[in-house]
Amino acid sequence: MATAPLLRLVLVVSCIGSSMAVLFSGLPNTLTVTASPAAGQVLHAGVDQIKVSWKLNESTPASADSGYKKVKVLLCYAPVSQVDRGWRKTDDHLKKDKTCQFKVTTQPYSSGGGGSFVYSVERKIPTGTYFVRAYALDSGDTEVAYGQTTNAGKTANLFDVVGITGRHASLDVAAGCFSAFSILALVFFFVVEKRKAKK
Amino acid sequence: MGDSSKTSLQVEPSDAQATRFKMPVDSEQKATEFWLFSFAAPHMKAFHLSWFSFFCCFVSTFAAPPLLPLIRDNLNLTTTDIGNAGIASVSGAVFARVAMGTACDLVGPRLASASLILLTTPAVYCTSAINSASSYLLVRFFTGFSLASFVSTQFWMSSMFTPPKVGVANGIAGGWGNLGGGATQLIMPLVYELIHHIGSTSFTAWRIAFFIPGLMQTLSAIAVLALGQDLPNGNYRKLEKAGDKHKDSFGNVFYHAVTNYRAWILGLTYGYCFGVELTIDNIVAEYFYDKFNVNLRTAGMIAASFGLANIVSRPGGGFLSDWISTRYGMRGRLWSLWVVQSIGGVLCIVLGLMHNLSAAIAVMLLFSFFVQAACGFTFGVVPFVSRRSLGLISGMTGGGGNVGAVITQLIFFTGSRYSKETGITLMGVMILCCTLPILIIYFPQWGGMFCGPRADATAEDYYAAEWSDEEKAKGYHSQSVKFAENSVREGGRRRRPPLTVPVEATPTHV
Repeated sequence: MATAPLLRLVLVVSCIGSSMAVLFSGLPNTLTVTASPAAGQVLHAGVDQIKVSWKLNESTPASADSGYKKVKVLLCYAPVSQVDRGWRKTDDHLKKDKTCQFKVTTQPYSSGGGGSFVYSVERKIPTGTYFVRAYALDSGDTEVAYGQTTNAGKTANLFDVVGITGRHASLDVAAGCFSAFSILALVFFFVVEKRKAKK
Repeated sequence: MGDSSKTSLQVEPSDAQATRFKMPVDSEQKATEFWLFSFAAPHMKAFHLSWFSFFCCFVSTFAAPPLLPLIRDNLNLTTTDIGNAGIASVSGAVFARVAMGTACDLVGPRLASASLILLTTPAVYCTSAINSASSYLLVRFFTGFSLASFVSTQFWMSSMFTPPKVGVANGIAGGWGNLGGGATQLIMPLVYELIHHIGSTSFTAWRIAFFIPGLMQTLSAIAVLALGQDLPNGNYRKLEKAGDKHKDSFGNVFYHAVTNYRAWILGLTYGYCFGVELTIDNIVAEYFYDKFNVNLRTAGMIAASFGLANIVSRPGGGFLSDWISTRYGMRGRLWSLWVVQSIGGVLCIVLGLMHNLSAAIAVMLLFSFFVQAACGFTFGVVPFVSRRSLGLISGMTGGGGNVGAVITQLIFFTGSRYSKETGITLMGVMILCCTLPILIIYFPQWGGMFCGPRADATAEDYYAAEWSDEEKAKGYHSQSVKFAENSVREGGRRRRPPLTVPVEATPTHV
């Protein structure tokens, strides 16, 4: 009997809540996320893999995950890779936050919480220091909880990725050839000019 | 060229030479009309060769900014690295422009510009091989040298077109060249996407994309060498050997340029129209990408529209400068320059205060028109500052433009002291302040913004004063005298010379 108005209150509050911007500081840390790289390990883009697993915290009551419908796992920059790089800035408003720019996977949430994914580090991942974060999404695709492989200050358990250079020997050779051609063309015209002037 | 000296005794020299040209010419063989869609040799051909090669230099110099969101991740750049490279890209040309001015005075615009352009293309090709912040800075630095070809463009136009048309010729050549800074913001993301789509990974695709600007630069410079010519009558080397052109000395050219205060003032003010344009070319794509969260291609399109306004804005400035001078002479040119550039400054202040995407784009477009028109107006005045040292003074003004870009980026857009929007607003304030010196430019024969001309001063005196008495005795100053005659219109309507004998009167001494 007392639950009916309580339920209505919860509904109202959750409606207001979802119409406000989602703040990271407002999300509960209810997921435990682990990733296969050890702290300080160096991975190579396009070569190595990361195995990510997540589950509900043991300390969290089992009913807390009733609203979780999906899990979105992201690769995120550690603070050291954000220094003097405004385009990777952390912002409490999740819509403006640029900390986590690479999607690892989005999966349905299975009640009881367990899940894992093997991610091949893509070739577009730049050189930097990273951690893994997972957001729990509700039916409206809004973040309602999170978990990450590092601590609150983002100092522990970080790993490095070395990105590809994108360079190729063929490009270097082509650059050399075209440059030489330009210089030779100039020399050619100078010689022709000198000859004409002598005549 | 050899024929005219044989027939000069029999036929009026001006007739023999005038009939050689498709276009009508004045006593210096400079074209008195401007036919935009013609390739008539040598005047219009020179125009098309010079604006297009300059366009290619701009495309190369600003090819990196629209791709920065990729390059900064590939090379692990910081905001400081990016800012420093932006400064480097425009600082090389500061001295290169001054040197180019001298080179034009001494060896002619064709050789000077083609040499510079071909010598800087290796930097563009090598951009595909960079792998660190310092190599990024170096390639942008050396590529930026090519912007000195601006000076040869203006010099070449001033050599090919008569004073009443020099504003529009300089304006279109300069404007369509500067267009490259806008076109590249469209071209590079498109080329990148094409290559990426074909199959290259993103960190390789941007590197391949740089071969496009490199090739454009190489081919345009070769065209200048093969098809261009310095003066209506021929190339410098030939004319000097035939004795038709006196070979001036660097010392004299230098002295008469640096002692002319107007050159310094115009250099400063150009730093705050053109310099601002260069700064915006460097920062605008990243600004829109980061602040308004648009994607790479959209940011490129917005950034491009800033530079694309150059199709009409800078030529418009040159054209209006010429048009105003028909009524108000040089004083009109100076007033309009000051007004237009100051409005540009106000719009820049407003741009930094816009937080809505469409409002920001609208203000940016208006701002681009005014600031680029101011560049056109500036080069409506420059050809009249000196005749002897035209090249070096064009170089000083052009170099001043780049100094403005260096200083502005250094103060407002390096590191994280000012947010980009604050930087833009403060840049607008600086434009207003640095435009004020135009108020003190004064030509004795034509006046300044607030003072009228001196009654006894003539254009001939002004330009002849650059030559010593011995030089005048040898006739070295003949080009200057002709120029003075052709610039009589700069006095404005009231100072037109009185008409000669009315047709009705019969000569008394028949």
